Amino acid sequence: MIRFSQVNKWYDREHHVLKHISLEVKAGEVVVVCGPSGSGKSTLIRTINQLEPVEEGEIWIGDVQVNNPRTNINRVRENVGFVFQHFNLYPHLSVLENITLAPMQVKKLSRAAAEERAIALLIKVGLAHKKDAYPANLSGGQQQRVAIARGLAMEPKVMLFDEPTSALDPEMIGEVLKVMQDLAESGMTMMVVTHEMGFAREVADRVLFLDHGEILEDTTPEAFFTNPQHDRARQFLKQVLAPMHG
Amino acid sequence: MNYNWDWRVFFKPTGIGNEIYLDWFVTGLGWTIALALSAWVIALLLGSLLGVMRTLPGRYAARIAGAYVELFRNVPLLVQLFVWYFIVPDWLPEPLEDWFKQDLHPAISAFISVTICLGLFTAARVCEQVRTGIQALPRGQAMAAYALGLSLPQVYRQVLLPQAFRIIIPPLTSEFLNVFKNSSVASLIGLMELLAQTKQTAEFTANLFEAFTLATLIYFTLNMGLMLFMRWVEKRVRVPGLIALGGK
Repeated sequence: MIRFSQVNKWYDREHHVLKHISLEVKAGEVVVVCGPSGSGKSTLIRTINQLEPVEEGEIWIGDVQVNNPRTNINRVRENVGFVFQHFNLYPHLSVLENITLAPMQVKKLSRAAAEERAIALLIKVGLAHKKDAYPANLSGGQQQRVAIARGLAMEPKVMLFDEPTSALDPEMIGEVLKVMQDLAESGMTMMVVTHEMGFAREVADRVLFLDHGEILEDTTPEAFFTNPQHDRARQFLKQVLAPMHG
Repeated sequence: MNYNWDWRVFFKPTGIGNEIYLDWFVTGLGWTIALALSAWVIALLLGSLLGVMRTLPGRYAARIAGAYVELFRNVPLLVQLFVWYFIVPDWLPEPLEDWFKQDLHPAISAFISVTICLGLFTAARVCEQVRTGIQALPRGQAMAAYALGLSLPQVYRQVLLPQAFRIIIPPLTSEFLNVFKNSSVASLIGLMELLAQTKQTAEFTANLFEAFTLATLIYFTLNMGLMLFMRWVEKRVRVPGLIALGGK
C-alpha cells in the first residue's frame, strides 16, 4: 500500500533528516512510528502526502508514485487522511461544515450526501450532538475526534496520524485512542507517530523506531518491547516507559 | 471674534434655476458617495487579489504585487491624481483620447480619473491588510486543507480568506473611511463633489464659516455611520466562541 524506496531528505541542503528510508506498509496494517524528538518521524509521514517534499528516492501509494512531478498530488491526498497534532480544524466553520467541506469541494458530493456521511462519522466518534458547535467550543479531545472524522469523510485508503494525542490533556487521550483503535479494527491502513506505547503494544502490527533520520528497528511490538536490537531503542524505551511504572 | 452666523444661508436661492444652496451640498454629497463607493469596489477587488499574490508560494506573483504596493504607496495621492487626469489621457490611442477629452462630459471624465486613481491607490493599502490577515493564520490551516486534497484556489477561497477577512475588518474599516475622505481631492480637478460645492457656496455667499461647518458635519456624520455599519458587519460575521482568530 505504502512503499518507500531509498528516500533521502535534507533541510537547507545540509541537515540530513531522512536517511536511506526503505519500507513497505501492507493494506490493513497498523504501523506505529516512534523515536526521540527530532528523529524525523513526523517528517517521514508528512512525505507520504507530500506535505514535505523529498530530494531523493521514490514514495509510492498503491501504483502511484507520489513524489513524481507528473502526479496530481491533490488526487493522491484525497485518498490519504491526515490527522495533525494541533487538530487544525477550521475555526470559522461548524463541526459539520468542517467535515463536509472537502467532500463537497473536492469530490463534488451534494450537501445532503456529504452531511449524511458526516453525521454517520460523528456518530462513530461519539460527537453527533456537537454537529452545530464551533471548534473553539470543543475540548481538545473532541476537536481531535472531529479531525479524525474529517479525514475519514474522504473515504481514504490510508490514515496518517502525526502525534495525535501529544497536545491533549491526559484525561482526553483515551477517547482519541479508542477511536483510533476502532478504526484499526475496521481494517484501515494506518501509520501513527506517537509516544503512546500502550497503543503500540495493543493495536500496532509493527513498530518502527527512528533515530537521527534512520529506521533502526522495524519489527513486531512484542519484539520491540521485549528485545530491542539497538542501544538507542533501549534507551528510548527506558525513558518513555519509566513514568508508567514509577 | 465678531462674526454674524447666519444659518439661513443654505435655504437662500443660488440664482441658478430654482436651486437653494442646500441643493448644492446634496449634489456634492451624491458625487462624494458615488466616487468613494466605485473606488472602494476597485480597491477591494484589486487589493484582495494583490494581497493573495503576496502570499503565494511562487516568487513572481509576490514580487509583482510587492512592486505595485511600493509604487502606489510612495507617491502622494495628489500627484497620482494629476497623472491620471492630465497625463494618462494623452497616452491613450487617438480616438479614445478624443472621446475622453472632448465627447465626455467634463464631470464624467473627471469622475473616471478620480475613481481609477483612488481605487488603485487604496488597493495598495488593502493589499497589505489582506496579506497581513493571511499571514496571521496558523500554518496548519492551509496544511490541513491541502492534506484533504483541496486545490490552491479552494484553500484560499474556503479556508484562508474567510478567516483573514474577519481578522482585518477593523483596519479595513479605516481604509473604507479613508476613501470617503480622500475623495475630496476630486475638487482639485473640478469635480463638484462635497468639498468643491462647499468652496463654491463660500465664494458665492461669503458665508465661509457656515459652509465649512456644514461640510464638516456631513463628512463626520457620513463616516460615523459607515463605522457603525462596519461594526455591525463585524459582529454579524463573528465566529461563535472565538474572540480573536489567529495567533495560535
